[in-house]
Amino acid sequence: MRISQAGRARQLALVEDSPLCKADPRTKLFISVAISLVVMMPIERLLIFVAIYALFLLWARLLTPTVQHVWRLKWLLLLLFAFDWWLISLDHAVLICTRLILLTGVFALFFSTTTTRQLGLALEKLRVPYRYAFSLSLAFQSLGLLDDEWRAIREAQSSRGAGLDTSSFRRFVSQVGDLISLTVPAIVLTTKRAWAITEASYARGFDSPHRRSYHTLAFSRLDFVLMAGTTVIIILLYWRW
Amino acid sequence: MLRARQVSFRYPQENQGLPPVSLEIAPGEWTLVTGSSGCGKSTLARCLMGLIPHLYNGELSGEVWVNGYRTSEFPMWQLAERAGMVFQNPAAQMLAPTVEDEIIFGLENLGLDHDEIRSRLENTLQEFKLTHMRDRNPQTLSGGEQQRLALAAIIARQPEALILDEPLSMLDTTAAMDLIACLERFVAGGKSLVIFEHRKEYLDSVSRLRHVALAGKPKADDFQQDGMSLPTRADFTVEMNGLNVQLGGRTIFKNLNLSMSSGQIVAVVGRNGVGKTTLLRSMSGLQKHGGSVRVVTPEGSQRPDFGMVFQNPDLQLFNASVQDELLYRLPNPDMAYYRWLISALGLNAYENTPPLLLSEGEKKRVALGLVLMRRPAHGLLLDEPSLGQDNAHKIILMRLLRTLADAGYLVVMTTHDLTLASHADRLILLGQGGEVTADGATETVLRDHSAWQRTNIALPAWFQHGLEAEVAR
Repeated sequence: MRISQAGRARQLALVEDSPLCKADPRTKLFISVAISLVVMMPIERLLIFVAIYALFLLWARLLTPTVQHVWRLKWLLLLLFAFDWWLISLDHAVLICTRLILLTGVFALFFSTTTTRQLGLALEKLRVPYRYAFSLSLAFQSLGLLDDEWRAIREAQSSRGAGLDTSSFRRFVSQVGDLISLTVPAIVLTTKRAWAITEASYARGFDSPHRRSYHTLAFSRLDFVLMAGTTVIIILLYWRW
Repeated sequence: MLRARQVSFRYPQENQGLPPVSLEIAPGEWTLVTGSSGCGKSTLARCLMGLIPHLYNGELSGEVWVNGYRTSEFPMWQLAERAGMVFQNPAAQMLAPTVEDEIIFGLENLGLDHDEIRSRLENTLQEFKLTHMRDRNPQTLSGGEQQRLALAAIIARQPEALILDEPLSMLDTTAAMDLIACLERFVAGGKSLVIFEHRKEYLDSVSRLRHVALAGKPKADDFQQDGMSLPTRADFTVEMNGLNVQLGGRTIFKNLNLSMSSGQIVAVVGRNGVGKTTLLRSMSGLQKHGGSVRVVTPEGSQRPDFGMVFQNPDLQLFNASVQDELLYRLPNPDMAYYRWLISALGLNAYENTPPLLLSEGEKKRVALGLVLMRRPAHGLLLDEPSLGQDNAHKIILMRLLRTLADAGYLVVMTTHDLTLASHADRLILLGQGGEVTADGATETVLRDHSAWQRTNIALPAWFQHGLEAEVAR
C-alpha cells in the first residue's frame, strides 16, 4: 500500500523553514526534556514559562503548527478542564490543561523539525542500540501508513456490511462487540508489514556488526546557544522566584 | 552461484511447505521458477536467501549454498553480502524516509567508508534513473518506481546472486518491462539470477533462461457450476456524468463521462497511479466525488449497489471459518445459493478452515464469495483480481465472472494483466490525468496501437505476437 495524501497529512509535516531544522536533534531532545521538567512547576511560574515558550515558538516559526497540533486535542482539553474545575478547582484545571498543552507542544516542536533519520542518528549517538533506534524511527515513519491501512480496513468492512455504523450512538454501542471485524484485519496487516520489513532489512545486512553510518551529527553554535539559553531559563525559573 | 540440494521445509504445525527440490544457478544465468499458488515458491526463495532457517522456525532438510557459504552455518549478514532478495510487495520493503537513504541503508551495513558509499550511491541513482527523485519519500512513489528502487538498493550492494519473489505481480506492463531491462544488465555482468514469477510470458525474450516448474496440484478442476443457475437480472446502465475527483490536491478525474451496460465484463487498464482504483471507489460510493454516478433502469434512476472486492483480501477476512465468513451478518441466508457459491468458488474443502490460513488465491475467492453472498443488486467491482494468482486460479475467477455477467450483472475489474483483460467484453484504457484514451470492444482496443501509446503502456512482444497469431488464424 502506498501512503496517501491523507496519511501524509496525519504525519507531522516538517516545517522546513524553521531555524530549529538546522539544530542537532540531540539539542531538541535536550530542550524537550527540559520543558517536560518545567511542567511540574507551580502555575504562576508555569504561566511565565508559557509566555517565554510562545516567543520561542514564534522565533522558530512553529507557533502555527503547534497551535494546530494542540487544536486537535480541543475536546480532550475541554473535558479535562471541565472535570478538574468541577471536581477539584479552577486553578487545578488551568494547571493540568497548561501542562498538557506544553507537553503536546514539545511533541510538535521535535517532530516538526526532525526527520526520522535524524531521530535514529540522535538515538544512536545517545548509545541506544542500533536495532532499537532503527525500529523506533521506522515506527514514526510508518504512522501515515498505519492510518491509511486502518481507513482501508474500515472501508473494506463497510462495503461487505460489517463496518461500524457511527450514524447513531445507540447503533454504534450495540455493534461494539463487532470490533473484531476491524481489529483482526488490523492485527494481520500490521504483523505482515512488520514481517516484510524484517525480511527486507535482513536481506540488506541489517544484522551486520560492521555497520558504519554514512550520515553524521555535529553540534553547531546554534546548538550551544539553544542549550545554554534553555539551561539559564530553567535555572532562573526554579531558583530566582 | 546459488545451489540447493534436496532442500525441503515444513512450517510448524502445518503440513504444507516445500517438497524436496534441487537447483543450481550458475553465473550469468537466469532461472525462472514457476508453480501453482501454494506450491512453495516463496518458501524456496527464502531458503535460497538464507531467511530460512535464520528468521523462520520449522523443519529444514537438505542444504543450500550461497557462493560457497552454507546458509545454515553463516549469519544472515554474511549471506546478504553475497546474495540479495527483492520481494513481491514494493511498498512493504521500503525502509528509509528518502530514496537516497533507501540505497544508503544497505551500503552502511556493508561497513563501507563514506566516499565509497557516496560513489556507489551516485552511480546507482544514475543507473536506475532515480536521481531526480533522490529526496522523495519512497512511500509516495508509484509501484513501478518502488520496485525499481528496491532493486537498486540491492544491486548497489553488488551481490553475486539475486533472488526475486514475484517482482512483477504488482507492476503495469511498462514498469515490468523496465524492471526486466535492469535485470538483464545485472545478469550481463556475470551474476546469477533466480526469479519466482507467475507472469512468465514477460521473460520469453530473455536469453539463457532456464525454466524450473515446481510440482503443485492444478486447482481449476475444483470449479463446479452445475446445480443452480442464477436468476437473470433486468437490463440497466451505469451512467457516470461529469465525474470529478480530487485527492490531496491532485486531480484524478476531471469531468469524466462513462456509461456501462449490465451483462458485461469491463476491464480498466492503465499505468500505476492513474486512478483505476479511484474509479471503482467512486462507483461503489466509497470515494467522495463531484458529478453523478447513477444506475438507470427502465423504471427510473437508482443509487448504484455494487459489491467491491479489494486488492488485498486480508482487509475483509476475520471470521473463524470460511462458512462463518460468507454467512456473517446475513439474517436469513439462502443456503442453496451458499452451497452453489462455495462450490463455484472451489471452496468446498475449506468450509471449516479459518480463511486467514488459506493461500492468497483461495483468500481472494473467499473475499469474492462474501461479497456475492450479499447479492449486490448491480454487480461486482474487482480491484486487481489476478494479483499473485496462478493460471488455474485465474481460470476459476474468469469462469465465475462470466457466469455473473451472463446472469445480467455488470462486472468491472481493474488489472495490469493483459491476458485477463483480453477476456473482458469491453476494455477501457485510462491515461494520465484520468483521461479515457480508448474505450470499446476488447478486440478493437487491443489492436489500437496508438491508444496504447497514448496510455503510455508498452505492449509486450509476447502479447503482440499472440494478437498477430490470432489475426492470422
